[in-house]
Amino acid sequence: MALLNIAEPGQSQLPHQVKRAVGIDLGTTNSLVATVRGGRPAVLPDTQGAVMLPSVINYSAADSPKVGASALALAASYPADTLMSVKRFMGRGRDDAQEDARRSRYHLAECEEGMVSFLTSGGQISPVEASAEILRVLRQRAVDTLGGEIDGAVITVPAYFDEAQRQATKDAATLAGLPVLRLMNEPTAAAVAYGLDAAEHGVIAVYDLGGGTFDISILRLHKGVFEVLATGGDTALGGDDLDAALADWLLRESGSPTLEAGDYRQLQAIARTAKESLSEAVTVDIDMSSILPGGGIVRVSRETFEEMIQPLVKRTLLSCRRCLRDAQLEEGVDNIVMVGGSTRVPLVREAVADFFGRSPLLDIDPDQVVAVGAAIQADILVGNRPEGDLLLLDVIPLSLGIETMGGLAEKIVPRNTTIPVSRAQEFTTYKDGQSALAVHIVQGEREMVSDCRSLAHFELRGIPPMVAGAARIQVTFQVDADGLLSVSAREEITGAEASVMVKPSFGLTDDEITGMLQASFSHAEEDKLVRQLAEQRLAAWQLLDGLKSALEVDGEALLTDSERQALSRHMIELQVLIDGQDVDAIRVQTERLGRESEAFATRRMDKSIREALAGVSLDSLDDEAIQ
Amino acid sequence: MPLLDFKRNYFQLFDLPQGFSLDQAQLGARYRQLQMELHPDRYASGSAHEQRLAVQYSALVNEAYTTLRKPLERALYLLALAGMSAESISGQPIDGGFLIAQMELREKLESMAEMVDPQTALDHLISEISADVAELRIEYSKAYSAGELSAAACACVKMQYLEKLQVEAELLESSLLDR
Repeated sequence: MALLNIAEPGQSQLPHQVKRAVGIDLGTTNSLVATVRGGRPAVLPDTQGAVMLPSVINYSAADSPKVGASALALAASYPADTLMSVKRFMGRGRDDAQEDARRSRYHLAECEEGMVSFLTSGGQISPVEASAEILRVLRQRAVDTLGGEIDGAVITVPAYFDEAQRQATKDAATLAGLPVLRLMNEPTAAAVAYGLDAAEHGVIAVYDLGGGTFDISILRLHKGVFEVLATGGDTALGGDDLDAALADWLLRESGSPTLEAGDYRQLQAIARTAKESLSEAVTVDIDMSSILPGGGIVRVSRETFEEMIQPLVKRTLLSCRRCLRDAQLEEGVDNIVMVGGSTRVPLVREAVADFFGRSPLLDIDPDQVVAVGAAIQADILVGNRPEGDLLLLDVIPLSLGIETMGGLAEKIVPRNTTIPVSRAQEFTTYKDGQSALAVHIVQGEREMVSDCRSLAHFELRGIPPMVAGAARIQVTFQVDADGLLSVSAREEITGAEASVMVKPSFGLTDDEITGMLQASFSHAEEDKLVRQLAEQRLAAWQLLDGLKSALEVDGEALLTDSERQALSRHMIELQVLIDGQDVDAIRVQTERLGRESEAFATRRMDKSIREALAGVSLDSLDDEAIQ
Repeated sequence: MPLLDFKRNYFQLFDLPQGFSLDQAQLGARYRQLQMELHPDRYASGSAHEQRLAVQYSALVNEAYTTLRKPLERALYLLALAGMSAESISGQPIDGGFLIAQMELREKLESMAEMVDPQTALDHLISEISADVAELRIEYSKAYSAGELSAAACACVKMQYLEKLQVEAELLESSLLDR
């Protein structure tokens, strides 16, 4: 018990202090930051009281870019310098992005293969850099509100984001100096936000119509355990498309004139406002004169609008149906959670209620629900809730596999598999005397490799000469709880091995990130150090916290006196170092303590497994939970 | 490291009687209980070593759960426990009638992309497949409990055929959604 009071009087009590954890919803249209304070999640407003930060960045001024409402105000005057909906471009190649860019009227840079970037007065800006500007503003808001650097952040992404899109999001966070605990799927976050207050168990469907993407997820909640059963969606369908449908209709009504980019932007903004008004009003009058000289008032009724968007809504329902089938439910859906501003459109609500046979839950603001859920998960992962009343069992959204003969994709881990997962499959050589095997890792549902996303290549060498088909090569895919994939191949006879941690080809290399950091910050080195120190301190705190509570519970039972004393000595040493500025010393001591405590950790896990497997009758467990 | 006994079979791991019919509620409850103990997020503040262990255990529990939860995988797993090799299962002779019916279903699927309303036709096909699968499960269950392993294996192979067809039907559905 003395171990609990390691800090000397007057010394900082950091390991027991609540850590600053935030959840960030990095949205296509708006972004938000939330945190858990005093056990209650809350979204953080800016100094003006606004919680939503428009995901808009303007690069027209010579100095630093403008972000949010001030950038939005410049959108019509500087269409090419004002980046909106950049989330649609995250982690995408130039060819992929061309169509979206044309619609958004951006100029894409003539870059080599790889990621897209936009040509602005501020230079070539990648979607990652633009997103980092948004994250930087939210981080600053959190720092100001919470009174210190952020210890850890959970950032949400659409469930349907592939590896490249996820990696791009992580890169943006790194650029913004945010320590990322985890990327979390948006629908899962929404379910978590509701799960705390909602019924203790049941099946939840999350219908998430964001600005640029549509996601549907089916989850089962049972006593604090969220099991994602299936997830699906459409990365190229969102609320923006509802606005675009209305904008195009308005143009046709006005005789289909050609518009300048700036005017088209303005028209989109008008369409969005009209869409929002039509959620309340039955008709809306739209004044086109600001865009078209001599343009008059165009009246649009809700009915007309609903006709326009009907095909889009139907597409979302088809995704819902497929997801329901994937979930293989034996029971019905108990609750429907709506996420995204576009779910305020009455037709969307009615269609979803019709499809699932019950009305959606609307208690939490659909614009805020994702950030709130992310904040709750961040609070857990940063270690603020050692009791852990909640566990998330998430799935991979897209199948993972490798290329086989004839350019076919062989799936090794199918979509909707719960993570973590480790799965092996055996392959063989197809030529006599073949001494190497090229492994090409792909992601996606299609049969042909050329239709899937290429994630990584590696080669297994040193296969002994054998006739075709005699070698036995075991390829193992492992995905951890963060969704990170590593793949290894092993020839069983010789034991020759090769492996790769997957970094998708559209992500940034560490050098590129460092380069960007240096280019975009005036105090790049300083910032880098601050970030490293923050990250290293977090790692040290986590280890100390974990060990302290572990020692409290199992120290006496599982360790000898001398082992206990050795451990606590190293803990005190680390504790002292945390308060200093020496990043390397903290790292070295953290690693050392980590190694020192491995045996203890192994014994503890062994013990908890034995307890879990001890055959406690399920009925008695249920009784405990109710009491 | 003698930790979780990897030799225990999945039924023992979940404390369930070994057999094709299975109490899904109990399986789920046991699964959640194990994950509450083992999931890497429970060791978010733990050492790298603990986290690595947790990933391995949690992955094993996920694998066991998936195998038992899905009827076809459970059926194949039971045959493997009974000593049948993968080769002897896939080598089971299949009656011609079944194969012809399969070919017809496949042709039906291939012609669907050109139909006026492929979605409805596809829905029909998918529910037809589900009904066939349900029958085969009963067939398997009877054969397995009677100790007729090759008849049980035969039902598995047929279910595999149907599952493959179902995947293709769903792929077609995705491509319909995309256009």
